[in-house]
Amino acid sequence: MDKSTIICRCEEISLEEIEKVISNGARTFDDIKRLTRCGMGPCQSKICNCLVAAAINEKTGTPFHEIPLPRMRMPISPIKLDTLATNSTTFSSVKSVLDEVELEDGKVR
Amino acid sequence: MKAVETDVLIIGAGPAGLAAAFETASRGLDVTVIDESLSLGGQLIQQTQNLSSLPSDLSPMRGFELAAHLIKQIEEYDIRYLLGHRVIGFYQDGTIGITDEVDVFPVKTKKMIVATGAAENAVAFPKWTLPGVLTIGAAQTLINRDFVKPGNDAVIVGSSDFAMDVALQLSEVGVQVKGIVEKSTGVLSRNTEKVKQVNKIGIPIYVDSSIVEARGMGAVEEIVIKQEDRVFTEKADLVCIDGGRSPILDIFYQLGTSFGFQKELGGWVPQYNKDFQTDCKDVFLAGNAAGVSTQGALVLTGRLAGMNVCEALGAVSKETAAVEKKGLWKELEIVETKYNLDIWHARNRHVDNFTHPVLKDQFIS
Amino acid sequence: METSYETIIIGGGVVGSSIAYHLSERNKGGILVLDKKFPLSGTSGSTQAWVWVHNKTPSWYAEFSMYSAELYPYLSKKIGDVEYKRTGGLSPFFNEADREKALLLAKTYESIGIKIKVLTREEALEKEPSLNPEVAGATYSSIDGNVNPFRLVDRYMRAAKKNGVQYSTYNKVTEIQKLPGKFMVVSQKGTFQCKNLVLAGGTWSRELGKMVDITIPINQLRGQILVTEPLKPFLNYTISGLRQAFNGEVLIGYSMEKEGFNRATTLEVMQETANLAVHYVPSLRKAKVVRAFSGIRAMPEDGFPILGRIPGVENLFVAATHSGVTLSPLIGTLMTELILDGDTSIPIDRYSITRFNNMETK
Repeated sequence: MDKSTIICRCEEISLEEIEKVISNGARTFDDIKRLTRCGMGPCQSKICNCLVAAAINEKTGTPFHEIPLPRMRMPISPIKLDTLATNSTTFSSVKSVLDEVELEDGKVR
Repeated sequence: MKAVETDVLIIGAGPAGLAAAFETASRGLDVTVIDESLSLGGQLIQQTQNLSSLPSDLSPMRGFELAAHLIKQIEEYDIRYLLGHRVIGFYQDGTIGITDEVDVFPVKTKKMIVATGAAENAVAFPKWTLPGVLTIGAAQTLINRDFVKPGNDAVIVGSSDFAMDVALQLSEVGVQVKGIVEKSTGVLSRNTEKVKQVNKIGIPIYVDSSIVEARGMGAVEEIVIKQEDRVFTEKADLVCIDGGRSPILDIFYQLGTSFGFQKELGGWVPQYNKDFQTDCKDVFLAGNAAGVSTQGALVLTGRLAGMNVCEALGAVSKETAAVEKKGLWKELEIVETKYNLDIWHARNRHVDNFTHPVLKDQFIS
Repeated sequence: METSYETIIIGGGVVGSSIAYHLSERNKGGILVLDKKFPLSGTSGSTQAWVWVHNKTPSWYAEFSMYSAELYPYLSKKIGDVEYKRTGGLSPFFNEADREKALLLAKTYESIGIKIKVLTREEALEKEPSLNPEVAGATYSSIDGNVNPFRLVDRYMRAAKKNGVQYSTYNKVTEIQKLPGKFMVVSQKGTFQCKNLVLAGGTWSRELGKMVDITIPINQLRGQILVTEPLKPFLNYTISGLRQAFNGEVLIGYSMEKEGFNRATTLEVMQETANLAVHYVPSLRKAKVVRAFSGIRAMPEDGFPILGRIPGVENLFVAATHSGVTLSPLIGTLMTELILDGDTSIPIDRYSITRFNNMETK
């Protein structure tokens, strides 16, 4: 296939860019993603996943069953922050930075 | 608060989800069905082709007729439908978070049947990102659901059964199908009847061929095809890609189920046992999510998953369940063997691998 | 691939790769980096990547962070564009109790030359008009900023490789033997020997320590981060809790959970994080979240970096820390000095592993 062929249409990453990082040792979709942004766009690798697996297979000979799936994440599909937010104002595991500033005898430690 | 508590949550209202809904609701369980779409039936709705290899209790019919049948079957039961709702993710204790696009709210369920179906795979060639290049599924949706003629001159890339269906349906609505391009040395479709029809209306099938590139300014205008040593150009404003389909795995991945690889089932498939139960014990699956197959098999896997959930929740006796399950597996064997023996074998291998998944603990670094 | 090296670094994340690069600036060749997976597959690839000084306490730790932040402009000149942007950092607060805290913080920092300004509501809103108008004020420091962590580690690696450093990836170390004058490092892909051994295993430091009978008290602390679709540039500053990347995505998160090596995300924390975002910057309401990810912080038991020699074992070094992105330029520089010159230009005694008294596992 022509090297200029776009593999990740969301981020416009070409086959050439993907093959380059494979030759630098990248072995999984996620390795390639972090070095090229392939799969980081709105579709979250849903479209390019199989194309990247084919590129890895082609370039390294790794059989498909040894090429792990990209790590999938929530949200299962994009969602507005407003919809996701709960309107609660108490954060238990999410902090503000000043929460971390520790005071000792009325002074910053 | 819109929070929901239910016995069985069925994610996906396609053939498998609807069949599972019937099995569970008809045995008195409290059933909730969620689907992104506002209507029931999933992809069946735009399938105008005749479905071969349906289970023996169903007479041959078209896709949308099967949807109507499955919907009618559950009409009398008090099922909770969350249509136009999406699963967003999961809380730490496994409670499902869904959204109606206003809020995210929790659904607590005793058992879950995930029937999220399959997605079409891409085929890349230079300029495949031009407008006018779409999947065969998208083309079919445009014709049969949206009543839109997607172009005037089409080339189809890939030659599965589904590609033949879409080639015929495109022709019917007046799209000139210039050719079907297949990279293998033979046509992939196993339905000789359909291939014959395609030949009859004069659509050329180029095997051992590939797309060199698409060309066009702002939209596809022509497509360059290579067949052995011959390179030729076809004028086309529509290119329909048939890259095969793969199970949609996002929900399984978030739930932490393990996966195995079976090429014939569409690649990575959630690991499941003979009961269509994943290694998260409350999570069952059905349909294309359990391996891409024919509509008849999708219905049967939905029934199987439903039956197993009924058994797990005590809605049927073990004895009844055993008899029913044996019958359903036998029927699945008949349908799937007739459709494609490789798929039947792959499904059995996959089930045998249940305790030896290739991919597991995906969130543990 | 050779089997004998002057220095082997175990761990190719931001800390290990920075050490490799800085070492290679002075001694080309003889350096091997071993990574159990691939650089960026761990903590370095799952971070908001603030280069952050302000509100680090105590002041000596803030000072150390400041020196590292000061190295960034020079580093980007040397290894290439890492999308480092000294935006300045804003920490909004919403009540008067936090203002008192902020004023104390500013006063303490003044003595070490870090300027933290406590902004009034009006000043905060003038700097960052998108902040919630209900804000009471904000602390501000001009030295803070952010960097693209993927580019950072990639550029470290490329520059190091250009200087002759070898990387062996997908190669887990299974055993370390100390022999007279050298170490034998047994890995999945073979056995290597070296004079100097640097343990830069991040979250896995404890496991590496066990191989040499040392307790490296690093624990895991999970953080979950939301990523929005790209938005047109509208945030001027790195705000504690969120930042806008070069491509317009906004990264949001400030969660801490003790979950070991479990990198799952949970809807609870995602929803809380979404709350934080719309509370700080209400105009984010309409933005879509496309992904949530989680990273496991390498958190030393007392929160401070563990750097330097491991006493009692000649030529064995450790570099394990939280805030690896902020600190990597300085840690790379100082570890290089320590390994090659035996001493560092900025004292790191305070960060010695000897401060933990239960060091030996035997």
